[in-house]
Amino acid sequence: MTLNDDALIKKDRLRFTRNKLSANLTLLAIVFNAIYFVSIYTSDVGNYYYSIIIGASVVYNLLFMLVAFLASEGVKGYKMMYAYALLVLGAGQIIRIFILPTDARNATVQLEMHEQIVMGNAQFIWVCALLIASAVFCIIAGIVGIIKTSTLVSYQAELEKEQKGAAHE
Amino acid sequence: MSELKLQHLDKIYDNKVQAVFDFNLDVKDGELIVLVGPSGCGKSTTLRMVAGLEDISAGKLIIDGQDVTAKPPKDRDIAMVFQDYALYGHMTIYENMAFSLMLRKENVNVVHQKVMAAAEILGLTDQLNKKPNQLSGGQRQRVAMGRAIVRTPKVFLFDEPLSNLDAKLRGSTRREILLLHKRLKATMLYVTHDQTEALTLADRIVCMSMGHVQQIGTPLELYYTPANLFVASFIGLPPINTFDAVIRNGQAVGSEFSIALTSEEAELLAGYENKTVVLGVRPEDVIQGGEISVNVFSNENLGQTTLVNGVVGKQKITCKFREWCSYKPGDTVNVSFKRKHFFDKETTRAIR
Repeated sequence: MTLNDDALIKKDRLRFTRNKLSANLTLLAIVFNAIYFVSIYTSDVGNYYYSIIIGASVVYNLLFMLVAFLASEGVKGYKMMYAYALLVLGAGQIIRIFILPTDARNATVQLEMHEQIVMGNAQFIWVCALLIASAVFCIIAGIVGIIKTSTLVSYQAELEKEQKGAAHE
Repeated sequence: MSELKLQHLDKIYDNKVQAVFDFNLDVKDGELIVLVGPSGCGKSTTLRMVAGLEDISAGKLIIDGQDVTAKPPKDRDIAMVFQDYALYGHMTIYENMAFSLMLRKENVNVVHQKVMAAAEILGLTDQLNKKPNQLSGGQRQRVAMGRAIVRTPKVFLFDEPLSNLDAKLRGSTRREILLLHKRLKATMLYVTHDQTEALTLADRIVCMSMGHVQQIGTPLELYYTPANLFVASFIGLPPINTFDAVIRNGQAVGSEFSIALTSEEAELLAGYENKTVVLGVRPEDVIQGGEISVNVFSNENLGQTTLVNGVVGKQKITCKFREWCSYKPGDTVNVSFKRKHFFDKETTRAIR
């Protein structure tokens, strides 16, 4: 097989280069998730957040960062399973918008005899934007991972077939 | 076309030590020049001046008619292969080879084509996804060469590239470099202290000592017509045997021998009548049978040849006989000299 057209060269390059695009997008998703995590508890709202949800949220954040980091390394090496994992993580980030931020936005607490909103509009938009950004990066990384991995797998199968054919001749 | 001209190059370090004196060399396009000499003779310094890694104290460096003396290394279009490979340990072989092109921001598809072509030439296609620590020394050196090849530079510089390899690998890698040179038809400057490498690889050899060029010529010229005693003793293994001899009545008279000169030799040495000259005879030019008695003190069989070490009077001599010999210490063997070299005792220059 001679490398004379760009599409073929692009495929052949996959054999020797890593999927850095997906890996870097995943790292960005982790960064946005970390900013979300430090942004959500910034409003002083008494003990609203002190419930079982905060524990689950902390554990999920740790899990997200761990799995996303593993997935970033996995997709770098064209592992299909990690590309799917990124799609799941991305979906998870979207679902999270409807749990803690949405609840907090609608909730009020009594502070010094005053009724106070737990999360203002500005903070709500900010944390939602962070989760959406994190989700989008995860999903793009996953899709790019799936496309590149399947391209590489089919190209390698093609090469193998050619080699076997050449050996038979 | 890539011609290289080194004109009156000097290297003087800040501490006033001069490492290279008035170096002149014209390298033709596609020529492989080997700089050879003992450690500290200035050969690596000269190469580093060409690469731009050392400042040139005086003189001019011209590549393809362009004066690059003051240009930084990146603008000289030169690739250098180092003794210790200088590969990036955290990168794969592919990434190592592509790195310099990526820095230049070349099109990734073009980079890929160049890397694959170089890998095929060097037989590294199956190793491209490995890291340098997974390769043998010879393979690593090939990667270093590949990194130079992909750049398609005007001049390749090799700084003792085989010194870290074992003897067997050195031989095979040397042959690979030679094939590579023939295939690429590239201009190459190669530094070594190993005369075997110099003799086998070079189109021309530059023999250096103490910062001075001693002789520039083809391997054959340096071997058969050395310009001086240094070149004669440096080129050739085992080194040339030397004896003091007085030229008298058509004979070279040593302390323990007297050799009749041929008419050509007598004519050559006409001006040295009754003067002492240095007679040089290569071990392979000492043949069995003759009037010179050698007292043997060791006999080394090398398979096809035998090295017999002994003394003629008080002067040591090494003979390389093309047969299996079994002399014992204390034996006497009579020899004669086939080809003789004569050097001026004072200047050490060859008498021609």
